[in-house]
Amino acid sequence: MTAAAERAILDFYTYPPIGTDDWRYAFETAQVRAIEMGMLSRTNLLDMANAQDLASAAAALAATEYALPQASAGGLGFGEVENMLLLRRTAARQLFSDLILDEPIVRLFKARDDFANLRLAVRRALTDRPLGTDYSPDGNVDAELFEQVFEEENYELFPDYMQQATEQAVLAYYQNKDIRRIDHAIDAAEAQYNLRMARKLGSVFLLGLFKIRIDLTNIRTMLRLKFTESEQRNVFLQGGFIELERFIHGLDVGYESLGALFFVTPYHHVVDIGANYLASNKSFLKIEQQCEEHLTGYLKSTVRITAGPQPIIAYLLMKENEIRTVRLILTAKKNHLDTKLILDRIS
Amino acid sequence: MDGLTLALIGAGMAALLAGIGSAVGIGIAGRSATGVLSEKPERYGQMFIMVVLPGTQGFYGFLAAFLVMLNLGFFGKSGVPELTSTVGLQVLMACLPIAFAGLVSAIFQGRVCSGGILMAAKRPEMAFKAGVVYAVMVEVYAVLGLLVTMFMLLFGINWPAAA
Repeated sequence: MTAAAERAILDFYTYPPIGTDDWRYAFETAQVRAIEMGMLSRTNLLDMANAQDLASAAAALAATEYALPQASAGGLGFGEVENMLLLRRTAARQLFSDLILDEPIVRLFKARDDFANLRLAVRRALTDRPLGTDYSPDGNVDAELFEQVFEEENYELFPDYMQQATEQAVLAYYQNKDIRRIDHAIDAAEAQYNLRMARKLGSVFLLGLFKIRIDLTNIRTMLRLKFTESEQRNVFLQGGFIELERFIHGLDVGYESLGALFFVTPYHHVVDIGANYLASNKSFLKIEQQCEEHLTGYLKSTVRITAGPQPIIAYLLMKENEIRTVRLILTAKKNHLDTKLILDRIS
Repeated sequence: MDGLTLALIGAGMAALLAGIGSAVGIGIAGRSATGVLSEKPERYGQMFIMVVLPGTQGFYGFLAAFLVMLNLGFFGKSGVPELTSTVGLQVLMACLPIAFAGLVSAIFQGRVCSGGILMAAKRPEMAFKAGVVYAVMVEVYAVLGLLVTMFMLLFGINWPAAA
């Protein structure tokens, strides 16, 4: 695994390798393949985006698992929509936990919620706001524990990876009391934890996935820094396929040169399209859409695996993405956003 | 080692190894099929043929073992003849093609069938065209192994007359 895991970016064209079959997962993979058939098609999403208003967009979901009760379709309350989407997400995560045979993989994906909860708790604790109890219950750490840990300042109640992240976030915040430093420190800790776990699990697929995510985060960060003309240079995440010097160099060149700078990387189209759209429309819409599409492309490449955890992980992530897209369209419709804008984002 | 023992080892290997291959192959395809059927039970018919295909190698191994036993007079009334070590070794070697071709091809056929089952879950119209046809292509090499074994057993060995 070591050679494959430490593969250089020049060893693949668009997507890194996804690993080999694991025949213990024959049943689980087949079940996921059958369930995937129920996911929303592009036509479903386009119908929603093209709908006149929120009620019509919700009606386009009538024959799907996202169908809302008939009564609410008329005077649609957004709380019901949120509830329904939350239920779907919980169901997808539960299915993932049931199907994955390797418990460490389940814990690894649950850790996402731990880090999200931690971001919230550290921000609240450092800005002297009430800690509250409204944390996600889907993580490895009990949601009720956060209040106790920060009130007692007893971080040892957290698992190791969260203790480290908390320490890094607190230190980063007190460097210049910039609240964005908290997010960056926790993002960095999460990225390193993910890479460490992927290597420990010996999963080529997970390593590729997390490295792509780091690269895409760095691309977005680069464009944001560029757009805001920020002087910060040490906010990029380490451990991706692309060397950090390229991102730093990207801050010093014009938008039109970014495509060329990333030409030898798999993210050429992502950067080129995203940067051009940002330059002409002053909007991050296209870069977000391109990043999402690139990641989805990698997840879809798991179709080559007949049995293994890869298709199940890909299903979870694509399902979560689908739920986010449904929320995005319905929120856009609720706020009467321009249809073209929605189509630009989801196309 | 006497000839009869060697011949029986050959017959045993043919049945045993090809049988193991079939069991593993059916196990793989069967697990995939049950995964699909748990969500789409109406696809049972399409899945069935792809699950049973890796089972043929076990029958080929059994057929080879049966031929050996038949030629040794196991089912006759006159008893089993004495075999020289040379003839016993010849029988053992004749059984190896189907033993190993059956073992390996059945496992790989199970994997091909598993892939076909997953495809049939999404594109039922391709179940036969791709799923079954590709699995049959793997089957060809088990059939070739069986043919070599049969030719060797039927035409290559000078079986002794019954005692």
